[in-house]
Amino acid sequence: MIRRGIWVILTVLLAAFVVKGCLVKDVVPTNNNRTEISQKTSDLTYPEPKNITIDGVDYLQSQAAIGNFKGELVTSTIGEGPKTFNPFNCKDNTSAILSGIMFDGLLTTHPITGQPIPKLAKSFSVSPDGKTYTIKLRKGIKWTDGKPITSDDVVFTWNDIIFAGLGDTSTRDSLVIDGKLPTVKKIDDYTVEFTTPEPFAPFIRMLSTSIAPKHYFINAVKKGGADFDSFLSTTTNPKEIVSSGAFKLKEYVPAQRVVFEKNENYYEINTKNQKLPYLDKIIYLIVGDLNNEVLKFEAKELDVISLQGAKVARYKSLEPHSDFKLYNLGPDTGTMYLSMNLNNRKNDKGKYYVNPVKQKWFQDVNFRRAVDYAIDRKNMVLNIANGIGAPLFTPESLNSIFLNKNLKPYDKDIKKSQELLKKSGFYKDKKGRLFDNEGNRVEFDLYTNAGNTEREAIGVMVKQDLEDLGMKVNFKPVEFNSLVNKLVSTFDWDMVIMGLTGSPLEPNGGKNVWLSDGRLHMFNQRTPQEGKAKILPWEKELDYLYTQGALATKFADRKKFYDKYQEIVYREKPFVYIYSPVRIVALRNKFKNIYPSSLNGIIYNIEEIFIGD
Amino acid sequence: METLTYILKRIIQTIPLLIIVSLISFFIIRLSPVDPLAELKLNPSVSPATVERERQRLGLDKPIIVQYGKWAKSFIQGDLGVTSTGEKVSTKLKERIPNTLLLTSIVILLTWLVGVPLGIIAAVNQKTAFDRILTVLTGIGMAIPSFFFAVLLLMFAVKTGWFPIGGLTSPGFSEMNFWGKLADISYHLVLPVFVLFTISLASLQRQMRANMLDVLDSDYVKFARAKGLSDNAVIYKHALRNALNPMITLLGFEFAGLLSGAALTEYVFQYPGLGRLILEAVMKSDINLVMASLMMGAVMLVAGNLIADILLIITDPRIRVKS
Repeated sequence: MIRRGIWVILTVLLAAFVVKGCLVKDVVPTNNNRTEISQKTSDLTYPEPKNITIDGVDYLQSQAAIGNFKGELVTSTIGEGPKTFNPFNCKDNTSAILSGIMFDGLLTTHPITGQPIPKLAKSFSVSPDGKTYTIKLRKGIKWTDGKPITSDDVVFTWNDIIFAGLGDTSTRDSLVIDGKLPTVKKIDDYTVEFTTPEPFAPFIRMLSTSIAPKHYFINAVKKGGADFDSFLSTTTNPKEIVSSGAFKLKEYVPAQRVVFEKNENYYEINTKNQKLPYLDKIIYLIVGDLNNEVLKFEAKELDVISLQGAKVARYKSLEPHSDFKLYNLGPDTGTMYLSMNLNNRKNDKGKYYVNPVKQKWFQDVNFRRAVDYAIDRKNMVLNIANGIGAPLFTPESLNSIFLNKNLKPYDKDIKKSQELLKKSGFYKDKKGRLFDNEGNRVEFDLYTNAGNTEREAIGVMVKQDLEDLGMKVNFKPVEFNSLVNKLVSTFDWDMVIMGLTGSPLEPNGGKNVWLSDGRLHMFNQRTPQEGKAKILPWEKELDYLYTQGALATKFADRKKFYDKYQEIVYREKPFVYIYSPVRIVALRNKFKNIYPSSLNGIIYNIEEIFIGD
Repeated sequence: METLTYILKRIIQTIPLLIIVSLISFFIIRLSPVDPLAELKLNPSVSPATVERERQRLGLDKPIIVQYGKWAKSFIQGDLGVTSTGEKVSTKLKERIPNTLLLTSIVILLTWLVGVPLGIIAAVNQKTAFDRILTVLTGIGMAIPSFFFAVLLLMFAVKTGWFPIGGLTSPGFSEMNFWGKLADISYHLVLPVFVLFTISLASLQRQMRANMLDVLDSDYVKFARAKGLSDNAVIYKHALRNALNPMITLLGFEFAGLLSGAALTEYVFQYPGLGRLILEAVMKSDINLVMASLMMGAVMLVAGNLIADILLIITDPRIRVKS
């Protein structure tokens, strides 16, 4: 027996030494108590490209530094890779990003100010009544196959693909105003005019939709339906594809990578009038999960990676010894919130969706505010997001250009909570348990989706914070699908922790959430039959503000409406916002012309990025 | 002739089996609370009309039994249908099957070429130092879960930089010549093959060793030795043949694992095989894709068993006589 034991130990030791001998010593993480990434997005001002006409061709001229023409950038996409390269049929994010590289839109977003700026278009103007958009196209620019890009392509894209409802119809759906669609008209070969039935400010953002080459798409469009859906599928031969972006598809290897190569016909030049892009290739590795992505970055197979919570501290300590730099892109567009169910109606069986006793609490704004003041957002940022986040108080994300900066953040204030509860007649017994003025114990369920560790952690902390007030919280993480079912169809929930992603550029995307008959008006969801039943005064106000906000045309006018809406949410607390994670990206030092933007990310100006010496 | 009718009988027997397997799997997937439309429903910019249209396109508005009928009909006609994103299931599978086969067949070949001889040597040299060390090593091999071992090796690859972090080919693959491509693929295959090899080698070697020891202990081997036959003749002519029979049954199972056996390792190494594809399909409740892979697994298992039985008939006269 002893002899066998010796054999075991000897063999294990042998194996251990062999393995140990191969390891390169890791850099010991230095002990930083606080992780500060000082890089501010506003430190660098992005030199906006200008228009320039050379030999009758309207080029876009990059104003950024001049670089070398060589090399490649390797980035990644999480998941199973693209499902299609057809920009008009993308139902998932990866396909949308990859096809977006190949097909430019008329306009794009200024990375710092968030205002629309020309891309494929040479210039654009909006009529004073806010209904007519005139787009001038660049003369002499070409598709990858050498055919000119003209207004026919633009009209074709909008009329025959988007308005005709082919592929993914979300763009079309969001443009229907009172059942009417905008119209598009060709003025001449290089001028197009869009007219919306009513002034509709969000339309300008839609002009960044990709433009399709008519001669390449026409056959698929004529066949329509399923044929259009399978057009430009991932099995398409990359050599056949006609596109307009700075990079064109070179190769797609299922479950491994997508390779793009330089488009020689691209319309952007540098200040020496050399044709961009600088890089020969961009490679998107298809990685299945975040862990593998981190390993690939550490093994230098990837050049850029976005980092979550705990990893940031480690990378920060590695940074001085490594060939990468961390960039702080500022708060994420995602918003995490706690919501109470304000529903006070009955279902078709005559039963209340929410227990009438609980209804009384949730309907009471003092109760909602008491919950809000009891929540320790700073603590959550510190403990759950590893300090990489910012407390949130408004429905617009912190990087939104419509953010109402007058709504000040505040700290946890348990005294204030207790005062508010007292005002509404809640009282505590000797054991510290909270009762309402009719003697009912305050006890309710708190849901979130199981498996999302961040939300589960928030749930635990919210439960603790609320139990300080004497409430009894039954925290129940449930499966994502059953939670969605509760929120959008059965309405049998008390309190929930959820998250939504919005656009930092266009609040109108949230209309499904904020309009009182919206499909995701979760805190007081009405069935389609109920319409706008039992509307609360401030819900009515939100309806008004949201409708007017979309109709106003000037940014300043719109901002007034959206400021007001944020104020109401801040005051009434249908959603108690918690925090926004901050996005941190690591990128190899060798890449130059990097202008990090909280709106567009870090490699949005891919045609200008080059590899330094 | 007898063998032929036997095979035919076996094939006919598998038909009800496959129907039952497909019914059970279809209903389990459809009755599970995974709603393929949940994410769409929670997306603020998607209109109810679009959600409804998606529901109809995926056939979710019909009762489960009708959905099953539709699936079964097209399956019998050889049409595997389309995935939830509208791609052909058959093309998706065709992209991945060669990669998985490449990995698993290399592993099986290696383990059998190494494991069986190692088992024999260990049995013959029972209780020597060699046998002891091998027992401990295979013990470790059997004890380590494949995904954990794979993660360890990945970390090893990161620290040393000697091996790529998963995948099958390098970004510059398409520009390499034939030998370059071969070298590149082999380079990427080293780690996943090593993981699967270590794990299946352990059990195979032990199985072979135990079989061999059993046989070496039997009366006819003792008799052969008593008769004065040389050691080699006893071991390789009399003992080995008898010890191999159970291994053939095992080979049948190995065949079933050709397409599905490496799923976990494939996932950790981001290997572009079936494993990742099926996992994603299950997560999204992509019914046609999941059903296709399940049916494939069932067919492979049945076929593997059939092949093993046929091989047994060939190698073992005793079975021939009985049937």
